Amino acid sequence: MDGPLKELAKLEKLASNASAKGKAPNINDSLDALLHSLREVKDRLQVGSATEDTLSILARTVEGKKKEVDERQKEVYNTLNRLGKTLDKKFSSPLPSYPPLFASPEAVSALERTVALHFLRTGQFNTAEAFIEEVGMDVDAETRGRFVDLHHTLTALRQRDIRAALVWTEQNRDFLRARSSSLEFFLHRSQYINLLLATHPPDVASALSYAKAAFPPFSSTHEQEIRRLMTCVLYLPLARLQASPYADLASPSLHLDLEPMFAKEYCASLGMSRQVPLRVVGDIGGGGALARIEKGRRVMRERKSEWSRTDELPIEIPLPPQNRYHSIFACPVSKEQSTDQNPPMMMTCGHVITKDSLHKLSKNSQRVKCPYCPVESQLAAALRVYF
Amino acid sequence: MSTSKLNIEGVMLFEQPFARVPYENYRKVFRASQRNVEKELGAVQSAANDLAKRSKARNNSTEDSIKAVDSMITRVENLKRKLSELQSSAGTPTLGVMRERLQHLAAVEDIPSVNEPEFTRWADTRLDRWLVDWALRTGKEKTARMIAEDRGIERLVDIDLFSDVCRIEEGLKRQSCSEALAWCSENKSSLRKLKEYIELARARKNEDAIAYSKKHLLPWQETHLAQIRQAAALLCFPPTTTCGPYKRLYDPARWTTLVQSFRLAVYNLSTLPTEPLLHLAVYAGLASLKLPACYDRHTKNTNCPVCDPNLGELAKEVPYSHHVNSTIVCRLSGKIMDADNMPMAFPNGYVYSKEALEEMALRDDGYVTCPRTGDRCLFSELRKVFIS
Repeated sequence: MDGPLKELAKLEKLASNASAKGKAPNINDSLDALLHSLREVKDRLQVGSATEDTLSILARTVEGKKKEVDERQKEVYNTLNRLGKTLDKKFSSPLPSYPPLFASPEAVSALERTVALHFLRTGQFNTAEAFIEEVGMDVDAETRGRFVDLHHTLTALRQRDIRAALVWTEQNRDFLRARSSSLEFFLHRSQYINLLLATHPPDVASALSYAKAAFPPFSSTHEQEIRRLMTCVLYLPLARLQASPYADLASPSLHLDLEPMFAKEYCASLGMSRQVPLRVVGDIGGGGALARIEKGRRVMRERKSEWSRTDELPIEIPLPPQNRYHSIFACPVSKEQSTDQNPPMMMTCGHVITKDSLHKLSKNSQRVKCPYCPVESQLAAALRVYF
Repeated sequence: MSTSKLNIEGVMLFEQPFARVPYENYRKVFRASQRNVEKELGAVQSAANDLAKRSKARNNSTEDSIKAVDSMITRVENLKRKLSELQSSAGTPTLGVMRERLQHLAAVEDIPSVNEPEFTRWADTRLDRWLVDWALRTGKEKTARMIAEDRGIERLVDIDLFSDVCRIEEGLKRQSCSEALAWCSENKSSLRKLKEYIELARARKNEDAIAYSKKHLLPWQETHLAQIRQAAALLCFPPTTTCGPYKRLYDPARWTTLVQSFRLAVYNLSTLPTEPLLHLAVYAGLASLKLPACYDRHTKNTNCPVCDPNLGELAKEVPYSHHVNSTIVCRLSGKIMDADNMPMAFPNGYVYSKEALEEMALRDDGYVTCPRTGDRCLFSELRKVFIS
């Protein structure tokens, strides 16, 4: 972006009347000078001291000033053009054109719902209300209430107030246990550390009494951790704790991590994704996927082979690990993706290939030799695996 | 194939209109100033020459000369005022918009990885911009304004441009052309080619006013003679005509076509894509993620955007993603299984990652339970799975 910014700076300089760095003086000055000469001529005409030459000199002055103004305009014009060229260079490929996307009534309302939920999910409640009203959509009060709850709890957590979050974790203890989530324990841990470190000198007594009340339900699951929390008291105050083997307990991430962790569990309990879905999709699409798809289409066009847009992309779009949501098994022998009819099978040696490949390799015998290791095994011993 | 490095080229593919709109706006401002300069200074120049000539020929009075100089002074003063107004009301703000946008784009170029918090903030703003663009294009101006104000991104979105478009379209829907014509004359020089659509379709409305056609259609004689003749002939037919080509011209649906062609002309002129940016990003994003597994009840993953019922509906329009290599994702932890985090199979064939199973065994005396089938066994009974 350096090129365009450099040309823009020049343009700004030319446009501002204050500086006159250009070759031609700025227009305001030229016009002022012209006005000055005009008024002078007028004065001389009025007092009668104008000679025959006065007016022809005036005509020349006007011409000169006009030339100055034109030159200045030309400079602006040239700079503007150069800026345009740097923009062309920077943005060499225009956006691809598509036939109207998401135009069916179902798609329109699905996108509108997605956007409404996006506003709610990201805590933009006023925008959400305005949007829902403008679109005339129907989002039930319960859904809205849940998002308001989530947002309030997160705001409170940011200010290290864990009460609202605790109310929720207590109500959803079974759910959290099933997910083996330590959220509730971590909330208490944060509170305990807060009590230890918030005051000077440290108020150990109140922290310990909090620990006595809060930690026992977690003694079976977090025994080690609780022991550490109890002993770290020996290293107070904060400065000593930070230099101790318990330094991790003094880290602010102990509290900061609660916010995303709570959001994740809360959303999971409602069957919602851990990341904001519209952001995820937008980031992938706007982070190179569209460019790659376009490149793929171009290559296909050059090879004069069409690909059906509704079926499958002709190229693989690389995805970061956090955006891989489903297992894909491509058979190392046949390169085909597994299906229900052709599922992945694990041989006794642990190597996995698809059922079709397995049968091909067995050549109608009951034994099969693994193509990846020396082990030979019974065909019947192969186990269907589920990823 | 995974990457966290920012694909700048892919990011910038979306940003051409973002950078171009204020640039085109500034060109417009410049042209306006140029017109003013030419008109006023040109007049002053010819007045001065005239004055000099006449004084040489000694056929003017001092009063006349004073009057002429006075009017020249007024013109120059006017020009000065107009230029400074233009600069302060349009020029400077547009330059400000351009600077802010280019800097916004420059900022993302310096972010090394998508995992940086700076990128998260940048991408938040980008999504807000896309949402504003989408809302404006689909006629939700109030929402658009709200987002822009709430997020403080007024200078990063083109609300004014779209609200002009909306106003003109409203007019066309009321079957009135005045707003559209005003816009056309404002953008005359760059329109040349595009304007024809509008002029052409507009003929339909005014075919009954001969005077009107004379005034407005004459300039288009060269390029649209055939259409104009047809429009003229139309005068002979009542609107209830059944004669094919003329009936078409009376068809009220022409107004819808007119609205569409107007919109296309505006997009073209402002280098805006015809589809909302949000649509393009969502299309590409969904296509990168979509798998048959997203539509199977047993393999749905709440964290997957395509598995979301609403986005899943949109994804019906996009192609499936393409994969050559295996990627095995743990259903317990969501992590990808590889040599460092081996897949392990229960005796019933269900596979999870070693890390997640180890953690489970730690909590349950060495036992692990398959969350999908409820089967329980010792960790030591699990078998290592090799995916090559």
